[in-house]
Amino acid sequence: MLQVTHVRSLHSGGRRQQQEAVAVDSEPEPFSVFRTQESDPACHSETHIGQYYTLPSAHIRTLFPSGLPWRYQQQVKTFNEACIMVRQPSLEVISYLKKTDYSKPALRYLFYGQKGTGKTISLCHAVHFCYTQGWLVLHIPDAHQWVKNCKELLPSSYNASRFDQPLQATTWLRNFRLTNERFLSKIKTKHRYMWTKREFTEEGSLLGELVDQGISRVKSSSDVVGAVMKELRLQSGQPGSDFHLAVAVDGVNGLWGRSTIKKEDRSAVDPEELTLIYNLRKLMRNDWTGGAIIATLSQTGSLYTPKSAYLPQELLGERGFDSMDPFIPVSVPNYSEKEFESCYLYYMDRHWLQHPQSER
Amino acid sequence: MASRTSKTFLSLGRINIPLLGFNKSSGKVKYATALSINSSSGNKGLPDRGGRGSFVRRPRREAGEPRTGKMPVDQDWTAVYPAAAPFRPGSIPLPVRMGYPVKGGIPPEKKGNLELIKIPNFLHLTPAAIKKHCEALKPFCTEWPSALETDTKCDEHFPIKLESKEYVSAGPSLRNPSARIVHLRVKLSSLNLDDHARKKMIKLIGERYCKNTDVLTIKTDSCPLRQQNYDYAMYLLTVLYHESWKTEVWEAEKTVADMEDYSWEDSPSQKNILDVLLRMKVAGEGDGEEVRQQLLGRKDVQDYKDSVTRLKNEGESESSMLQYKEAVKKVFNM
Repeated sequence: MLQVTHVRSLHSGGRRQQQEAVAVDSEPEPFSVFRTQESDPACHSETHIGQYYTLPSAHIRTLFPSGLPWRYQQQVKTFNEACIMVRQPSLEVISYLKKTDYSKPALRYLFYGQKGTGKTISLCHAVHFCYTQGWLVLHIPDAHQWVKNCKELLPSSYNASRFDQPLQATTWLRNFRLTNERFLSKIKTKHRYMWTKREFTEEGSLLGELVDQGISRVKSSSDVVGAVMKELRLQSGQPGSDFHLAVAVDGVNGLWGRSTIKKEDRSAVDPEELTLIYNLRKLMRNDWTGGAIIATLSQTGSLYTPKSAYLPQELLGERGFDSMDPFIPVSVPNYSEKEFESCYLYYMDRHWLQHPQSER
Repeated sequence: MASRTSKTFLSLGRINIPLLGFNKSSGKVKYATALSINSSSGNKGLPDRGGRGSFVRRPRREAGEPRTGKMPVDQDWTAVYPAAAPFRPGSIPLPVRMGYPVKGGIPPEKKGNLELIKIPNFLHLTPAAIKKHCEALKPFCTEWPSALETDTKCDEHFPIKLESKEYVSAGPSLRNPSARIVHLRVKLSSLNLDDHARKKMIKLIGERYCKNTDVLTIKTDSCPLRQQNYDYAMYLLTVLYHESWKTEVWEAEKTVADMEDYSWEDSPSQKNILDVLLRMKVAGEGDGEEVRQQLLGRKDVQDYKDSVTRLKNEGESESSMLQYKEAVKKVFNM
């Protein structure tokens, strides 16, 4: 109780922002119940379960330009820090990732669970681990965004039966560039890509150039996305490359579901006819080596699925399950007693719970 | 005597009794005499109107205590309600209440309660009454065969069960068209069907099959007579049986979507796992059939096969997901 009043006297009542340095100075000990100073996911272990670790803000800006759930982003802005709780499902996946054999085909890990249990945050925890280990992170924040609310749909220049989504593709390329700056100047393309009659990307040019090409030429951005995915898939795990590829997809059941995008004649578009989805499906197959695929299921953004569905086969459907098979399903349960206590103490510490009775 | 006649007058209603007569205009004198005799027994509310001839209320007497007060506990109830009769509050010694409660109170009592009279009651079918009915019917019955003691024995000797209803009602006609409906129930396990025949039979009968109890129910009502419907039902059963044993040419085109159960052989799941294992170069060098067979023979692949089959056939649950997870982990040696 003492330290709470002490902190309150430093700041005026209604303001919720709190300087981290001051907090650390005034309350060293009682923090450790629900916080851990270990901010490297590689060092997290069973002892840290239930404790919050802080993500360095530099990492957040690069790694998660739009990868975190909306409410969590609000929370980060409010508390001025991003804290993730260390929990069993993500620890399990991280332990598997540590043991990956880069010569074997990529393994697929799937987080599943009921609504609001923390699948996306577990995915972000695993992705943070990959990032700190120096892997190349290919993060698709929400696959459902690509199958609904499409403002512009162009027929694909590469394949007449498919459709392009330039806006989504350019946004994704921008985020990709932000996250993987350091790799863009190191990886070279192995194929030659022809965008229009005059524009092409030569073999051996840098990945960064390819990405810039996609961002500047909006019309061919979806094909650029496909090219980037193909390049990374082919090169990862090969003897010459020095990077490991981590593919993280949130809401992977959207790839095999239905879409609400309509063609001009008001018939629905099959997700397979969308270039972005088509290429992403190819990436989800485990025919490449040298990395891992981590995904979550999500009913919240999905289309035409019942609200109570949360198990993999219900959300993925027949085709999705057959494509993802074999995968390792990881169940994400609700908070345990200890985790709940921890969350409660964290919110108390952040002065989020203002009601006087909440202190009991 | 006058009181007796007035009582009969009250109970017999409209029957014309020459003694007192219905004529109101005439017979003033008769009324007057009746009045004078009855006035001693205490009629209420009878104004002595003199000779003006206005309507005078019928003589009535007090109702006594209802019979319920005088009923002994061990009486014969079948005598009180020998047949179906409406609810008589005075004959039923139970403090029954029925209806919407009065505001701030309880449901109204049984005396004068129309709700209790409206509803059907089974007061004439108490266990004692049923016993009497059974005793009366016993001389007309024969013994139950001793070989059919249990239900299973009945099913074994008489697998086909026929059901039809008889309707008894009083009305302009004694016939009821619903009496022609016949239900034929038979368990498919008691029919001689092999695997293909059983699957074909289930596809042919569709909605009429209950998976949980393995019972085929044929309901026939297309013919006007019960005998005809029974013949039709037996004919349908025969035809179904023989047709399901035949194999048509076009049955060879059965696709994966038509299959009732999931079979792992030649499924995408099998292809995937073999593909992955081959790429992981687990089996060593050498290509083709023997490598495939060797991989398929491994224990962890068999476990994987079982878990996937269980997932697809039984549907999903936490336990089947865990089993699948363990199987995949074993295959990948984690």
